[in-house]
Amino acid sequence: MKFIASDRIDGLLERLEERGPVWAPREPEGAAGTVLFAPWRPGIVVELDRFTTLSAKGLVLPATEKLLSFSYSLTAEGETLDITGADQERGETVLFGARACDARAFTVLDALFGLPPGESYQDPGYRSRRRDLLVITLACTAGDAACFCSSWKEGTASTQGSDLILYPAGEGYLARSVSPRGEELLALDVWEDSDLEPPELAVTDRLPLEGLETKLTGSLFSDLDFWRELTAKCVSCGYCTYTCPTCYCFDMYDEMNSSREGRRCRSWDACMFYLYTLETSGHNPRPTIAHRYRNRIGHKFSYYPANQGPILCTGCGRCIRGCPVGLDIRDVLRAAGER
Amino acid sequence: MNGIVDTIKDVLKETDLVLGWTTDPVTGMATPARFHDGKEAEQAVFDSTCVHNLAVHLPRLKDSRVGIVAKGCDARSVVELIIEHEARREQLTVIGVGCGSLLDVKKIWRRYGYGVAIEDRGDSLLIGGEQVSRGEFVQRKCHGCLEADPDIYDVIAGEVGGEIPADMAQSHPLYGMFASLTPVERRAFWREQFSRCIRCYACREACPMCFCRDVCIMQTQVPRWAGGAVDAKQSEMIQLIRVNHLAGRCTGCGECERACPVGIPLMLLLDEQNRAIEEMFAYSAGASLKARPPMLVFDVNKDIWGKG
Repeated sequence: MKFIASDRIDGLLERLEERGPVWAPREPEGAAGTVLFAPWRPGIVVELDRFTTLSAKGLVLPATEKLLSFSYSLTAEGETLDITGADQERGETVLFGARACDARAFTVLDALFGLPPGESYQDPGYRSRRRDLLVITLACTAGDAACFCSSWKEGTASTQGSDLILYPAGEGYLARSVSPRGEELLALDVWEDSDLEPPELAVTDRLPLEGLETKLTGSLFSDLDFWRELTAKCVSCGYCTYTCPTCYCFDMYDEMNSSREGRRCRSWDACMFYLYTLETSGHNPRPTIAHRYRNRIGHKFSYYPANQGPILCTGCGRCIRGCPVGLDIRDVLRAAGER
Repeated sequence: MNGIVDTIKDVLKETDLVLGWTTDPVTGMATPARFHDGKEAEQAVFDSTCVHNLAVHLPRLKDSRVGIVAKGCDARSVVELIIEHEARREQLTVIGVGCGSLLDVKKIWRRYGYGVAIEDRGDSLLIGGEQVSRGEFVQRKCHGCLEADPDIYDVIAGEVGGEIPADMAQSHPLYGMFASLTPVERRAFWREQFSRCIRCYACREACPMCFCRDVCIMQTQVPRWAGGAVDAKQSEMIQLIRVNHLAGRCTGCGECERACPVGIPLMLLLDEQNRAIEEMFAYSAGASLKARPPMLVFDVNKDIWGKG
């Protein structure tokens, strides 16, 4: 197999940068130990041993995306409105150091945003970003106490959504391509040949997910006390939704300046907020935290798989690691399974 | 003196529920819990990983008789909530606990991996078997701690009257660094910090004093005070709005900073403002039930023009 020594990784990143911007995990200064995917430049230390706090979903669903721009004018001759769609040509972006759960999250989102022409709404921004994204995944030889990707068949061995997989071995990484573009990367002159064997990959927590899909729309949906009890300590913040690699709730809005030039944007939003479902009439179908949390779990483990196929979760554990009140989604799912 | 479990059991005789902590079976660290009966209360704990400020739940529990376990800093939030009518003194039983500084568990997890075994030995930590100095992993807010023991309480659980550790007497080194920056450098510092913000509003939701939460100015549609875009300028703006709304109300509990997924040192802003409020109005939020927040009782004629 192809191999690269740890101290040669910067050389690989430099070659990758020739193709387009490279996003890699790093610890920003003064960020209390937070590791984030961020644009890499020579000199930046890549953090490959720890998990990132935020997922990489922003590369396909940016936190704010301009959908179109417009300008409006009203004169004696009449009114005009010019609308220009957003430019979707931006070239390749490389994601380096994603984990199997991060890469698989893209394929889960594809089931909604990336459907083939003719099947559904075509999301031009998502489709072009996804098409241009090259994903280099680092295989996990160890998980932590929040990981539960092994709840899905392939777990840490999943290659879905990846182009190239790096396996820690010896003093570096073995590389295996899992797509034609990954194969292209193996032709770069940065690799050596190696007899090393790929390592044994981690096995993480396993959750019983069978039967949840029907339970969540049936008996558990009407049992609001169940949700009240489990979410008693929840403060309804957006942490879980914003750090999740598959949560995609958004808000759309128009903004205009005083010269009547403006843009229509789409920004991340979260179903855990009261305002998310507040209707103009004043009615709110999800008035309490219990209602909103029920929806979050229901959407991920029932409605989305029923409508789109995959479960809207890859077991990355981010929502567990950072929850300010220590609410563990696995406790909720296990309790739901036992009902 | 009763321990935490027996005290909660006692308090439950007079209340509907008690807000406290239990041990998370996965991480071995404390996690917030609600106790409704003596059997549940058996699981109660108090240790240096009980970082959460449970007062954040009080505005949503106004109709219940609530017991709440409170450290010195938490008790200040309880006081401020009572003053602002978001909690009812007569409905509350405050269980005071003595605190000798708290661990920044999230920081430990970020560095050593989630769920790593942590043993607090008082003067040092054993993290995953490795002995490390405790100072680096103490909550930033515990540096320069104001109250190791709560000022208001109805009952005390466990030992109080402990000393604040000597290395906690000074404010956090980051504050010194920040104080040395020029205004222009501060601007650049915050632009850099807020470039990480994703506008998840966890700061607001974790804050006990941000109880407008469902009708917050940060997200109102009409009028639209803040733009919708996620960028450093917008984030800085909405955070400054939040900070200003907390003038004379922030008790310095640090929950906003603790909840932030991208590690923005929000307490730098709030601490600066709290000091200004103290200088200008001789007011420290949450210090006394009898005091009134200066912004709520401020009279421009009397307080400024009347002075001359």
